[in-house]
Amino acid sequence: MNPSLKRFSFQAMGSHCEIQLFHDSRVYAKRLAQKLGTEAHRLEKKYSRFRSDSLASIINRQAGDNYGIKIDQETKLLFDHALTCFEESEGLFDITSGQLSRIWDFKSGRVPDHNRIAKALENTGFDKLSWHRSRLHMPAGMEIDFGGIVKEYAADSLAKLARALGSNSGLINLGGDFSVIGPMPENESWPIAIANPHSTDFTNSVMARINLSDGGLASSGDYERFFFFEGERYSHILNPKTGWPSKGLRAVSVASHLCTVAGSMASIAMLKNETHGIQWLLDSGLPHVYMKQDGEIGGPSLNARLSV
Amino acid sequence: MAKPSRSLLALSTTALALPGIAIADAPPVNSSLSYKVSNYQEDDLDRAESPFGDLGRYDIDVHQFQFISPIGRAFSLQIDANYEDLSGASPWFTTLGPNGSPIVNLSGASGIQDRRAELNVGTRYYLENGSIGGNVGYSQENDYRATYGGISGERHFNDDLTTVSIGLSYSSDDIFPTDAEIFNRVISEDKSSASAVLNISQIINQVSTFQTAFSITEQSGFLTDPYKLVDTRPDKKTQIAWSNSYRRYMRAADAAWHINYRFYHDDFGVTSHTSDMSWHQNLGSSVQIIPMLRYYTQSAANFFTNVDDFTSPATNFQSSDYRLSAFGAISGALTLKTTFGNWDATLTGERYLANEKYSAFNVSQPSTALVRYVRVSLGLDYSF
Repeated sequence: MNPSLKRFSFQAMGSHCEIQLFHDSRVYAKRLAQKLGTEAHRLEKKYSRFRSDSLASIINRQAGDNYGIKIDQETKLLFDHALTCFEESEGLFDITSGQLSRIWDFKSGRVPDHNRIAKALENTGFDKLSWHRSRLHMPAGMEIDFGGIVKEYAADSLAKLARALGSNSGLINLGGDFSVIGPMPENESWPIAIANPHSTDFTNSVMARINLSDGGLASSGDYERFFFFEGERYSHILNPKTGWPSKGLRAVSVASHLCTVAGSMASIAMLKNETHGIQWLLDSGLPHVYMKQDGEIGGPSLNARLSV
Repeated sequence: MAKPSRSLLALSTTALALPGIAIADAPPVNSSLSYKVSNYQEDDLDRAESPFGDLGRYDIDVHQFQFISPIGRAFSLQIDANYEDLSGASPWFTTLGPNGSPIVNLSGASGIQDRRAELNVGTRYYLENGSIGGNVGYSQENDYRATYGGISGERHFNDDLTTVSIGLSYSSDDIFPTDAEIFNRVISEDKSSASAVLNISQIINQVSTFQTAFSITEQSGFLTDPYKLVDTRPDKKTQIAWSNSYRRYMRAADAAWHINYRFYHDDFGVTSHTSDMSWHQNLGSSVQIIPMLRYYTQSAANFFTNVDDFTSPATNFQSSDYRLSAFGAISGALTLKTTFGNWDATLTGERYLANEKYSAFNVSQPSTALVRYVRVSLGLDYSF
């Protein structure tokens, strides 16, 4: 019997998630999908700052505590990656900007009070963290937000788990962050359509199509959450240096050998101004596509078949 | 495609290091190497307690080395090596003194010289919700050899707030007293012991934890002290212990209480209670000062005597070992810990005073040989 496509979907990390698997057995595929869903929920439960019982919340509650908090290996490695993001972006990508994320309410579209922004900036800065072995010491008032890393990491993690459990053909999609378990049968790559943030109808709903045979694809953009202030469009992506949303590119998608890397590259591109963001993407050498403020779409890899 | 940027390489390096598959319980992140040197010095006896011979008791130097390292993602390795240098004397026999009260005679004029070397190797394998481990060890002295091993398993429940572990261990020991023929001691004997431990620890909230453990140990074989002139003990012993530990961090003081209580009972008839409390005060982020106070009390073994009976048949149980008498003990210690870079240093001084007057149990026969000691230790840890 030829393997056929089985699709499973669930909600996790505030997103619609979908697992596509090619397999002979529906029972096997379903069990595998359940295991992957459990892993996604584990990571959500551990790292979501919206859950009061998450490790992220526990870490945030102990800010200012001299005793510090013991950090497990997985979290320590996420911090290590976050440090690289912080350094390579020259401080633009900063997971310690949790307080900033909290004071900006994009639903209401209101700009927070100037003093609150200043206060939040005081409580931001990855370089203010200190470590004693596996104990993390964090200044009072600081809040960690793993949101910019964990969904992409989860996509890679699920793909890796699926491979470890014997699957060799499938695709993980966690709310637009993709990680390939293995190519479709006969080594076909997965066709992925990247949504157009500017779209108002179905005619131009796709910004680009990318065929992915391995690795991951991540997108960052002001798809749903953005606002206009004094005639200017702001994304929900916050610049930890100014305390204001960034005004660079409107959307970026990057493909790489890992979804985590693609996500970090895309987020950093969004945080830079438009010119620097485009240059950053070009310098990376990775397949990518972006949309500028004026709606112009660019990037070297439109409709390309990617093998990364 | 252009050459990958430096940033891409840097981001790929840290992203590739991420575990990817759930490792809820993880081996240590760093390797660490520790060395601790301790000196344990028992006070000399009073001339009134021991009218004849030497008064000097045990003086022990202990050197402890430990190495812990992760191996791959799921294993850890631990190696412990200990070396002890012991000199001094221990009680040999007790008699009635000239004024009718018991006196103690210490062993040999030149005392005892002994060295102990021990090696213990253990490994743990970390699973999604816990870990399993095993260890084997060997200890050698001039007159004693022990070979032991153990296995243990640990599992986290309730979002890692509760941890249950069980451990089983077994030790096989050989005793071959020195100068056996001269003093008519046993030539060679053996004993074995097996124990089981159940341990439950619970994180109560962010600032407090509680731990309780129950253990049972069965010993069989030669449980007598071969160096005493008269000493006969049963060849089986069952011991139970129940230990409890509560820790609470006091945010305002930036310090933590550690409060422990232990109950012990064995079928020689000894029941004991140990309680201690310590205050772990942080001073800045690199210094910790820890005063500790402990109280211990035990009842006497059924066959304890403070004056050896040389006329009693050899099959009757009797021992004048002070460790089997009813007594109480108070000890106080002060520890100073400091951190500099990858180094941790710990300095501890402890004073221990045992006295039958401190006993919470009835003391019908006080021992003349209760110990008072000073222990000083310095530990260094290096993690890398």
